[in-house]
Amino acid sequence: MHLATLELRDFRCYEAAALELPAGVIAITGANGQGKTSLLEAAGWIALGHSFRGVPDHALVRQQAERAIVRAGVHDGESIRRADVELRAAGRHRILVNGNPVSRTRDLLGVLRVTVFAPDDLQLVKGGPADRRAYLDELLTSSAPRYASVRADLDRVLRHRNALLRGGVRDAEARATLAVFDDQLVHTAGQLARGRLRLLDRLAPAVHDAYQRLAPDQGTVDAVYEAEWSPDGPPGEEDVDTQLRAALERHQRQEIERGLTLVGPHRDEWHLTIGGRESRTHASQGEQRSLALGLRLAAHRVVTEVVGTQPVLLLDDVFSELDHARSRALVAALPDQTQTVITSAGALPSGVTPSLHVHVHAGRILDRAPA
Amino acid sequence: MSLYEAPVQTLIDELGRLPGIGPKSAQRIAYYLLKATPEDARRLAAAITDAKARVTWCRRCFNIAQGELCSYCQDDRRDPSQLCVVEEPRDIVAVERTHEFRGRYHVLQGAISPIEGIGPEQLRVKELVRRVGEEDVTEVILATNPNIEGEATAMYLARLLKPLGVTVTRPASGLPVGGDLEYADEVTLGRAFEGRREVDT
Repeated sequence: MHLATLELRDFRCYEAAALELPAGVIAITGANGQGKTSLLEAAGWIALGHSFRGVPDHALVRQQAERAIVRAGVHDGESIRRADVELRAAGRHRILVNGNPVSRTRDLLGVLRVTVFAPDDLQLVKGGPADRRAYLDELLTSSAPRYASVRADLDRVLRHRNALLRGGVRDAEARATLAVFDDQLVHTAGQLARGRLRLLDRLAPAVHDAYQRLAPDQGTVDAVYEAEWSPDGPPGEEDVDTQLRAALERHQRQEIERGLTLVGPHRDEWHLTIGGRESRTHASQGEQRSLALGLRLAAHRVVTEVVGTQPVLLLDDVFSELDHARSRALVAALPDQTQTVITSAGALPSGVTPSLHVHVHAGRILDRAPA
Repeated sequence: MSLYEAPVQTLIDELGRLPGIGPKSAQRIAYYLLKATPEDARRLAAAITDAKARVTWCRRCFNIAQGELCSYCQDDRRDPSQLCVVEEPRDIVAVERTHEFRGRYHVLQGAISPIEGIGPEQLRVKELVRRVGEEDVTEVILATNPNIEGEATAMYLARLLKPLGVTVTRPASGLPVGGDLEYADEVTLGRAFEGRREVDT
């Protein structure tokens, strides 16, 4: 898959800009605050349906403008697909796929696929369980879109169930209603947990391989799922429903006391270990950086295997954080035959030979000649 | 200080309380009504008060009715052994359009939704249980919406009704008729696979 054209209007600092992108490596350089990341962010919106920097849509509209427009042309094998997105400063966005309006953002996903490397990826290793859950669920959704609605259903079941628990569950009606939402919780939570467990089985060896390429001879990397509702170690796929149900029974009184659902994958964690050591607490800063890069490379590989097409790699200012050896290792580990867009405030790392090198300055794209 | 004269503001506020009407629409409708002739305004006001005075809830099934019973409950040709449970009166219209169902209805007037503080006691559940006990019902069809709230309501009712010795069913959910498989969204298609059945030969 490759992004062939990208056009922006009133997006971030860009009033109007257009870029034709060849296959291979595309380098975008420029000083900070000039609009390098905004280009990646626009492409990212087409792929994800939201900003990968976690910014609300209205913040993407250039100041004084009413709407931002992003148009993308994507080549995938024989097919050429077009996606047009209009983001409004106030009100809902509009999306066209191949010129036809689609009502749900979900229908846009899949036109373009990306793997984003960002400077704060280090949080995946150093941060809390919520960061790692988000990584896993995002990867799950890009490999099987139905998990987006499983996730949404689970959130809704949790809200209902918490409201019910807060009410104290005092009479027979409330107890019978709670029993119904217990079933719904087991049903949706079970699907998500099984999805995550299956994904982790696939992901763990991919992370190990990627890490070995970035930091050879550092020991085995493994990923272990941890769920409070499965106290005797990681749950097996076929035991998920039984375990969830048993945990709900064990914790019922406590849940009613606290008015909160304490059982379910919304509280789970997964650990990354290097040579048996917990990476969050026992790895060096350098090891953690390599592991974060490894997580992105592994995610890229998993999506490629499952979906059967290579996502476009977006590397947002990643090399500035890496020492020379790690930069070289990352360049060497990047998959071949994959369109890769790299932004950098400084020089490009050695070993990178871009097929297109552009320079951005104050919301304008300069030097559009191939390097 | 209000932006509008007091009567205009009251009108906008009242319109804004209607479902699906936001502040902008309320303002637009209010100005439309102010420009309308006094007869037009009176006709609309009369239609509202008249409908409110003459239309009531059916005493048996809680559908919209004129008088004690709704037209379906009055109709002797309908099969009393099948009872179709829906969330809202408008769902009856949807089922009726199929011409597939000749039984009677029961309107819950909502679905279980703890977020909004709606439990079984806020719905017409007790009345449903009484009907199943008193009337000659053999099958209850739970036609609540296929979303979290509708599914929860159906599950709740199924547990309540099965011990009474009736058959409890739920309409299948799946692929839209006349559509192409490749255009079905993955959630619908997933459900359809879950509920697949053997082909009769």
